[in-house]
Amino acid sequence: MASLLSVRNLSTYFYLEEGVLKAVNDVSFELSENEVLGIVGETGSGKSITVRSIMRLIHYPGKIVSGQIIYRGRGKEEDILKLDEEEMTRIRGKEISMIFQDPLTSLNPLYTIGDQLMETIMQHQDVDRATAWKLAVEMLKKVQIPEPEKRMNSYPFEFSGGMKQRVVIAIALSCNPKVLIADEPTTALDVTIQAQVLELMKELQRELKTGTIFITHDLGVISAMADRVMVMYGGRQMELAPAEDVFHKPMHPYTHMLLKSIPRVDIKQEKLESIPGQPPRMIDVPEVCPFAPRCPRRLDKCSKELPPLEELEPGHYVRCFNPVLGGDKK
Amino acid sequence: MSDKINGTATTKETSVQSDVVIRVKNLKKYFPIYKGFLIKKHVGDVKAVDDVSFEVRRGETFALVGESGCGKTTTARTMLRLIDPTDGVIEILGTDISRLSREELLPFRRKMQIVFQNPIGSLNPRMTVGQILTEPMLFHKIVKDQQEANERAIELLRMVGMKPYHMDRYPHQFSGGQKQRIAIARALSVNPEILYLDEPTSALDVSVQAQIVNLFLKFQEELGLTYIFISHNLALVRFISHHVAIMYLGRIVEMGEVNEVFDNPIHPYTKALLSASPIPDPAIEKKRSRLILTGNVPSPIARPSGCFFHPRCPFKMDICDKEYPQMKSVSPNHQVACHLVDKREV
Repeated sequence: MASLLSVRNLSTYFYLEEGVLKAVNDVSFELSENEVLGIVGETGSGKSITVRSIMRLIHYPGKIVSGQIIYRGRGKEEDILKLDEEEMTRIRGKEISMIFQDPLTSLNPLYTIGDQLMETIMQHQDVDRATAWKLAVEMLKKVQIPEPEKRMNSYPFEFSGGMKQRVVIAIALSCNPKVLIADEPTTALDVTIQAQVLELMKELQRELKTGTIFITHDLGVISAMADRVMVMYGGRQMELAPAEDVFHKPMHPYTHMLLKSIPRVDIKQEKLESIPGQPPRMIDVPEVCPFAPRCPRRLDKCSKELPPLEELEPGHYVRCFNPVLGGDKK
Repeated sequence: MSDKINGTATTKETSVQSDVVIRVKNLKKYFPIYKGFLIKKHVGDVKAVDDVSFEVRRGETFALVGESGCGKTTTARTMLRLIDPTDGVIEILGTDISRLSREELLPFRRKMQIVFQNPIGSLNPRMTVGQILTEPMLFHKIVKDQQEANERAIELLRMVGMKPYHMDRYPHQFSGGQKQRIAIARALSVNPEILYLDEPTSALDVSVQAQIVNLFLKFQEELGLTYIFISHNLALVRFISHHVAIMYLGRIVEMGEVNEVFDNPIHPYTKALLSASPIPDPAIEKKRSRLILTGNVPSPIARPSGCFFHPRCPFKMDICDKEYPQMKSVSPNHQVACHLVDKREV
């Protein structure tokens, strides 16, 4: 069965005074129905720009320079990058929804929660105000907001951070989208609140079977949420595999080292192995592996050409000339 | 190398190994709330730090842990006398500094330095790295002239893994991790004995975080530094610290040796915090049973009666909303303020 969303050779560049910043460079992946794909990467690795490209939220000086984004949710194959702006507004929020990191800035402070929920519902569904109100209350109930009828008339500032993020989730899911994109949805929250929101997102995902792209820099959060994981570095995908493979037998040296460099709460560790060097500069980079300058397994050809993304094991894709093979992390 | 940079700390360390360098007793910091415009009326207090006591030994890392608003940063800032305490004793190296004047505080300012969360905000953008590093040394008269200060600054840069030619550059020319290295070099420039680390890695990328953490461990070993480590990242706390205090609404609810507290947590809040911290292993993470708390942290202005945690506590008993539990020892290295402790003993 064909997947719900196919991203093929997507490249998004930013044309800056200093030069061309290749924020997303030749990225390809598939998202199936009822699947959670996690994208991990550090600041500037291109994970947010990848999903913003899917929503076509790239503005000057940024530009999607090449690639295809095939969406199959409306019974036919459509290339999102070729749709006109009017068609795109029908996709955003209805077919593909997005949750942003900071719930403070994604809600309008001047409108009540109810107004904002109903706006999305009435935009995409052919219903009157009374029905929209009922649907909105229903959504608030679903994200476990106490006294939903009363809360419909509250303004965002009357909610705590975790509650605001619940409202954002309610808005995103109000039109029952087939694809949900969550860009660091819990990074701004405290740990106990993060646990509540993640639990809620898991429950809703299972219930609604939404294909989900979940972005985070926290490897702990990703292991709780994702079925498959894509690791990005310097605008490129370095590894793409089922979550368990990425964590238990990482093949790319970057993934391998990253996992050894993070502290864990459940065991006593003797030392953390740090990755030497600094994150890459992104402007006018040559077509080679972006991790090569920091990589201990670097070969001569690593700084001359770009390794292809190869399927080394079924479903396990790696972009590396000298991958870590057979090396169990545990 | 370390001798040259930090002569005082190394000699002291050899003479007394495990003495107490910080003793905080019944520390309180209340922020008053006023109502009214012309005639201001004192209507209440935000009890940011309320009756906090602990001790820290030389060469040890003591972590203050909790969610935003629990009072961990206020505790540290009060200990540094960046804000004045409402009540209590802050004994640093044997002297109570809670009531000292500005002049009397000066030698203690040199001995206690701080590394902040955000290296962009804590380095002056108009000063070169050289100026940033030499200013504190000249101010505290650790060196006799600019030239000696420069030599030491270059030595400090080497210690934090940077190059002498970085002296003439400005902060904006560095990445986040490098900026934090400069901030650490500046903190070390005046031979401190105690370093306050307020979320020093949470603004950094994962791959750089380990570099900075390892740098802290190296300096602790070489220079015998004592760290007060403030963080909400429990995994990092477990790795870096020896003792930990968990705070909730201005009070310490559980405290002790880090492995003992993390492997055998007793306070339900500690349990919830630990079970909310994700583990980077999908095999474990997907099978874990969690203790998920309902609701939010109550407002510090109107704290609940009895134990502050009782409205969210899954193990609430009758006594919990009536009496605040006393801090009790469950083992020599582990104290808890929870009524469940009494029940365990019965």
